[in-house]
Amino acid sequence: MKDTHTIAAISTPQGEGGIGIIRISGDEAIRIGSKILSHPSGKKITFWPERQVRLGLAVSPDGTIIDEVIYFFFKKNRSYTGEDVLEIQGHGGYQNLKKILTYTIKAGAQLAEPGEFTKRAYLNGRLDLTQAEAVIDLIRSRTDLAHQVALTQLRGELSTVIKEQETRLLELLVPIEAALDFPEDEIPDLEREQALNVIQTVQQELENLLAQADKGIILREAASVVLAGRPNVGKSSLLNRLLGEERAIVTPIPGTTRDFVAETIDLDGVPVRLIDTAGIREIDNVVEKAGVERAWQIIREADLILAVLDSATEMSREDQEMINSIKQKKAVIILNKTDLPVKLFSEDLRAKFPGYTILSVSAITGVGIKALKDVIREELMGICGTDEHPVLVTKLRHKEALEEAVERLHSVAEGLQLQCSEDLLAGDIRSALEALGRITGRSVSEEIINEIFSQFCIGK
Amino acid sequence: MKKNYDVAVIGAGHAGCEAANAVAKMGFTTLLLTLNFNNIAFMPCNPSVGGPGKGNLVREIDALGGLIGRNTDQSHLQMRALNTQKGPAVRALRAQTDKHLYQQLMQYYLERQPLISIRQGEVSMLKRIKNHWRVTLNTGVCYEVPVVIIATGTFLRGKVHVGLLSYSSGPQGQHPSIALAENLEAQGIRFKRFKTGTPARVRKRSLDFSRMIEQPGDGVTHGFSHWLPWEPKKPISCWLTYTNEKTHQIIKNNLHLAPMYCGAITGIGTRYCPSIEGKVVTFPQRDRHQVFIEPEGLNTDEMYVAGLSSSLPEEIQDEFMRTVPGLEEVEMVRPGYAIEYDVVAPDQLLTSLQIREWPGLFCAGQINGTSGYEEAAAQGIVAGINAGLYLKGEEPFVLQRNEAYIGVLIDDLVTKENNEPYRIMTSRAEFRLSLRQENADLRLADYGYKFKLLSDQEYQTFMEKKEKINNKLSFLETTYLLPGSVEADQLKKETGVDILQKTSLRQSLKMPEIQLTVLWKTFNQQSNQTTEEDEVVENLIKYQGYLEREAKMAERLQKTENKKIPSDFDYFSVPNLSFEAREKLNKFRPETMGQASRISGVSPADLSALLIWMTRSRKK
Repeated sequence: MKDTHTIAAISTPQGEGGIGIIRISGDEAIRIGSKILSHPSGKKITFWPERQVRLGLAVSPDGTIIDEVIYFFFKKNRSYTGEDVLEIQGHGGYQNLKKILTYTIKAGAQLAEPGEFTKRAYLNGRLDLTQAEAVIDLIRSRTDLAHQVALTQLRGELSTVIKEQETRLLELLVPIEAALDFPEDEIPDLEREQALNVIQTVQQELENLLAQADKGIILREAASVVLAGRPNVGKSSLLNRLLGEERAIVTPIPGTTRDFVAETIDLDGVPVRLIDTAGIREIDNVVEKAGVERAWQIIREADLILAVLDSATEMSREDQEMINSIKQKKAVIILNKTDLPVKLFSEDLRAKFPGYTILSVSAITGVGIKALKDVIREELMGICGTDEHPVLVTKLRHKEALEEAVERLHSVAEGLQLQCSEDLLAGDIRSALEALGRITGRSVSEEIINEIFSQFCIGK
Repeated sequence: MKKNYDVAVIGAGHAGCEAANAVAKMGFTTLLLTLNFNNIAFMPCNPSVGGPGKGNLVREIDALGGLIGRNTDQSHLQMRALNTQKGPAVRALRAQTDKHLYQQLMQYYLERQPLISIRQGEVSMLKRIKNHWRVTLNTGVCYEVPVVIIATGTFLRGKVHVGLLSYSSGPQGQHPSIALAENLEAQGIRFKRFKTGTPARVRKRSLDFSRMIEQPGDGVTHGFSHWLPWEPKKPISCWLTYTNEKTHQIIKNNLHLAPMYCGAITGIGTRYCPSIEGKVVTFPQRDRHQVFIEPEGLNTDEMYVAGLSSSLPEEIQDEFMRTVPGLEEVEMVRPGYAIEYDVVAPDQLLTSLQIREWPGLFCAGQINGTSGYEEAAAQGIVAGINAGLYLKGEEPFVLQRNEAYIGVLIDDLVTKENNEPYRIMTSRAEFRLSLRQENADLRLADYGYKFKLLSDQEYQTFMEKKEKINNKLSFLETTYLLPGSVEADQLKKETGVDILQKTSLRQSLKMPEIQLTVLWKTFNQQSNQTTEEDEVVENLIKYQGYLEREAKMAERLQKTENKKIPSDFDYFSVPNLSFEAREKLNKFRPETMGQASRISGVSPADLSALLIWMTRSRKK
């Protein structure tokens, strides 16, 4: 019946490193290991002690020595994946590692898919969902800051914060439930004011998490920053300048950047996906029209819009309409081409578009680009990612659960003040707990009942 | 002698009576076997029915066409409405009953059912012969039936403890059932031991009620039954008094004589119904505990001492009772005791209450590890209906957790490792606001009628009630309060609420200040008397938001309930399951993914692994 194969992969990044690791996971780990490894003396390895560093040789099927290696063996249920795991450390050199991996696969292993070790760890109950997701993020994290956040989550800090709130809510809920189920026993009445305090404290804690959530999601997914503007204002040049290298095709003929160019950059730790749209203007050409529609779609979904104007020409109707049409979005107005004689001044724009940050830059010379990068980062992240404002929530799933919990608690707070009946209050607290449980995996229904009996003397 | 019936029900307690009634109403000849014809529907413990959760069960059983509701209404001594200020979800009726009258009425009702034969006799053997069961009595008489329902309560290998004295016995000095337990065990049914207990009974005239607080009944406007007209009786009071330090000291001094504390009892006791020695040990900080003195009937002087359940020696029970105000001169009629008994390990049960792999053999009541007359009756009616459906070759009747407390109860039984007799509680129900006692018929009467447990006439009553509800709802929907109108002025006088714009009555009822009775008064619709329909209408409108949320939750639940797991699914073939989950799943053999998710030790990770694997094996 069994069909979970043994998997193998190089677990260290590609490139020239001091050492490189090959990880093999599955029931066949030892059988495969004994084919590709030998004792330093050249003898076959028959003894695989658990969790001990051993010296050995990596050999090809014809007995040629590829590398001198050390290896560890982890037994099923005591390894990362929950399966038998063999880790082989070779002496760096990507070619060497690749050779060993090739023989590992010849010996019967299958090449692991990205994240497959973690997936197995999750399926075998070695990691909870939050942790597994954090590991995947860690592997995929694009920037240092994103990496840090993933690490915090792996250590379970999000769970810790939320579990504290769960405990507070549970302590509040238990006497209410006890009184509902055992009206004839002596259970103290609900102190509404005290309860309100607890609810508001928890609400605040969760809202603090939520306040950073959008930023967390940006750190994980990368923010989408869209360059918008009519053709030939220099969007592509600006994109290339931000990327620090020439990439998009730049021509002075309107409409050449027809498809979208998207590149991800690391803006002081914030992953930013820069998207250049086709010049937005009204056109009859069907093909181009489709492109324009897609541009609007991308603009609607953007986290930030860079509205690019040409400072060397007068403001056109198109420019005006473009800025009007993105009123609902977070945007920065950029006056490009300051290297040319200026006809459109930032002072005029400031009067016209109050509330917008307006920056003058030259994509050609690089003037103002540093300031632009700072503005983008600040618009996206504010003051997050510092010690006082740690980012813990990076998943949409978590954000939604938190939002639901906050909404339920809001209803509890309102109910407490409006003298709502206890069954409704208890119901809302339970819903909040249920929502939080989707993050921590804690199911409280049995806990409530156990607590009722351990705290109150029930039974007439 | 008639030897062939469609169904044999073993035991005529609260589960057995409901089971026999249900399956007989479905048109099947039913043999109801009891150890003692005098003890049908006997209440060996508290002479009380209902309370939060339990009262909902009674209403649900009644809505399906069961007996406990009507029988309680007819034999009640007092009725109280509990939790009246704590919201519609937890409002509950509780009745003190005349236990003797309760028995007589139940016996007489069953005797009049043409398809039920009640027979006194001890079943000593069950044997599967082809597709029939042979039920053998200890007298050697045999019956051949396709379906058996076992509802033996606490009788299976019952063992009573009073102090260090212990002996084989059923409850309150009745004959235990030993041979049957041994016979079933030999055939492979696995049992575990549970323990329960009851307090002493005392003589009324030996008590000094002047030293206690009177607990009169309420003037409730309806009883449990949807079908019988409510006939209030002159309420008989209960009495409240308290234990004190002296009581506790005597108990502490004698703990070495308590079977629960000296190791004589191996069965597991209940947390919600602890003995007084249990309360004293677990809650040493409490300086007193409540003691309720409750009447057992109109034609008896015996009274029940709620709160002093004990298995200490009779003399010690007598001694500590005398320290309680009003009980100084107490005369004991019977001592309290603890009883240990066999329960079927619940992982053998299907949601239909049939034993897995034993076609046509159903279990109901305390034998399944529950406690309480209401819980027993609930399983009885379900087992009865499922016995009938089995005989017809139809799919079993399974109530979902969002449909009824009965659904919660049975689902909990088959998915949870209960370490004590199971008692229903409102906090076990995720859909508490939907499972109100006043809408039990709206949730369940259609089933009751479909299975023929409700008569045409009863169903007609129900349809009329439903129509009244709809009429009231549409009146509220289409009638408006206009600013400055006579009605708006009167409403302001009554409630202080200003109507500033055209508002439908339905909309106005959502305001916390406005009650339906006030609206009726304002619009001269009827007297202030709150009818059951009004309660339904008011709750539907006032709690609409909450009810809609529960409905959404129910939809999500339904999705997982619709994912069936093949009964022969090999959990050991799923390598990604955690060790614990694999063991538990293999033991409980959930019928749906929903059930699997409620088994403790089965994590979301296990569930996704299971889902992946099920999809895979289906493809193969």
